[in-house]
Amino acid sequence: MDPLILGALVGICTILVLFSGVSVGIGLLIVSAGFLIVFDGMRSLELMPEIFFGKLDSFALLSIPMFIIMGGSIASTRAGADLYEALERWLTRVPGGLVISNLGACALFAAMSGSSPATCAAIGKMGIPEMRKRGYPDGIATGSIAAGGTLGILIPPSVTMIVYGIATETSIGRLFLAGVFPGLLLVALFMVWSLYATWKSGDKNLLTARNYTWKEKITVLPRVLPFIGIIIGVLYAMYGGVATPSETAAVGALLCLTVAIFIYKLYDVRKIWMILQDSTKESVMILFIIAAAGVFSYMLSSLFITQSIATWIGTLDVNPWVLMLAVNIFLIIAGFFLPPVAVILMAAPILLPIITTAGFDPIWFAVVLTINMEIGLISPPVGLNLYVINGIAPDISLKTILKGSLPFVACMIIAIILLCVFPNIATWLPEAVMGAAI
Amino acid sequence: MASNAPLTPALKKSDNVFVRTIQIISTAAGWCSALMILTAVLLTCQMIFIRFVLNGSTVWQTEIVVFLVIAATLIGLPFVQMQKGHVNVDLIPLMLSGTVRFGLAIFTLTLSISITCIMLYYGYDYWHFAYVRGWTTDTVTAVPLWIPYLALPVGFGLLLLQLIADLVALISKSEAPFGLEAL
Repeated sequence: MDPLILGALVGICTILVLFSGVSVGIGLLIVSAGFLIVFDGMRSLELMPEIFFGKLDSFALLSIPMFIIMGGSIASTRAGADLYEALERWLTRVPGGLVISNLGACALFAAMSGSSPATCAAIGKMGIPEMRKRGYPDGIATGSIAAGGTLGILIPPSVTMIVYGIATETSIGRLFLAGVFPGLLLVALFMVWSLYATWKSGDKNLLTARNYTWKEKITVLPRVLPFIGIIIGVLYAMYGGVATPSETAAVGALLCLTVAIFIYKLYDVRKIWMILQDSTKESVMILFIIAAAGVFSYMLSSLFITQSIATWIGTLDVNPWVLMLAVNIFLIIAGFFLPPVAVILMAAPILLPIITTAGFDPIWFAVVLTINMEIGLISPPVGLNLYVINGIAPDISLKTILKGSLPFVACMIIAIILLCVFPNIATWLPEAVMGAAI
Repeated sequence: MASNAPLTPALKKSDNVFVRTIQIISTAAGWCSALMILTAVLLTCQMIFIRFVLNGSTVWQTEIVVFLVIAATLIGLPFVQMQKGHVNVDLIPLMLSGTVRFGLAIFTLTLSISITCIMLYYGYDYWHFAYVRGWTTDTVTAVPLWIPYLALPVGFGLLLLQLIADLVALISKSEAPFGLEAL
């Protein structure tokens, strides 16, 4: 059978299997085994455990459970609330301080935890009730946190970027750096929209500052500085050439656990077990998908599907930007239904040859892809962050949360367009710090 | 919709002895998995300490840490399955009526059990090869490969038990299809 037709058949079968409700990792193994049996014979199944094991046999993968423990430790403490309080007190003179503080706290917490739902939950628990108490419209209060939470997968350290790095064999250090300025750009766009929407809501008092004494400002610092110190230390170790991302993540995980236990007084063994249990659950889920996606990728390449698609795209006389638009639409749609990690692992082996053949930088593409995945986090029908917010503020309807989030989706699309026009926003920092990619 | 509960839900205790026994085994597997990840964290920190503080050389740590994480992944599979932590797209199941949803859940669980049997069979085969032929890693430590490979049959074997327990719980109506309560 023509590999291209076979590719289409694999695509249809994958969609059918995944939409049946089977878990993503198992679904990928089912499709892989099915096609290998039919087109390559039963003997090819012998290789499945070997490929599964081989895909996990990498020191770089270690950074995934480590960063998850790091984020889990931070998320289990009052760190989110403390960070929020600190920013609110210190940004008191900034117009619209509260919503700005919320977005800033989301960005910082995202940098510490690397998780979007955790960021939403940690900052939202304090931020949303406070914003509503002061009269901010429900849509802005919830939308800003839902969107701010998505920064967790873009601002380093980001598990999504690690997974992309592993799937495409791209430097994780470069990917982390590439996410910094686009992350700040998104924060700025979110802030501009939030201020405009607040100003438009008619209550000008919301934009005025609230005064805090220096004592109030200073007292909140000891509670947030340890975590910020760890993050700065981790980033220094990574880029100062001290250790690899996995090694720094391990130290970061141990330090964050220690801070959670000793500074935040998390002495209860059951609570520590809960952190480990939740981290294990998330890590195993992601690592299982990575290994299964490795088998899926092997099936695609052993049936010459990946190579044929890349060659076919190469022969098409399509403008690279039209191609990029098609890829973006595909990613947004995939992001509506699947979590970022699953989309990256399934799409990367097919999309990367297409992207590089069309002359796009894989590091830049990682950022565009991640912003697409961020859109999925606040768009129906999945919109994980929308449900997290709904859990925090159950009296606000999902419709209001969604309506409040939509302008932030527009901000993300603007960011993607800006990244297409000015790719240096993503590529400048990695090149400045680590030199040009070879 | 893709679902993976960010927080651990309270597990419903089953009346069925088989299901309950498997739940205990899967929980123990979860403990093992978490402890292996924690050990990997500590070993990596020890490795960094030896290399950067004591200026010594590290020989075995990297390999062991990688094998620990692989074992944690495989041994942790039944625990994550029991906790419904494996992410899935439940958009279609959500749209279906009770009976059809029940049928689909039986179908997907049967498919999952089939692929797990395949992975278990060939995983055991792979481990057995490594054991009989005395394969080792090509590093200084020359770790016998049957030790890390053992995680394949054990992990998939435990996952198989948990999937069968899920099927039994589903058929005996002690668990809702896809963990979704009837609307």
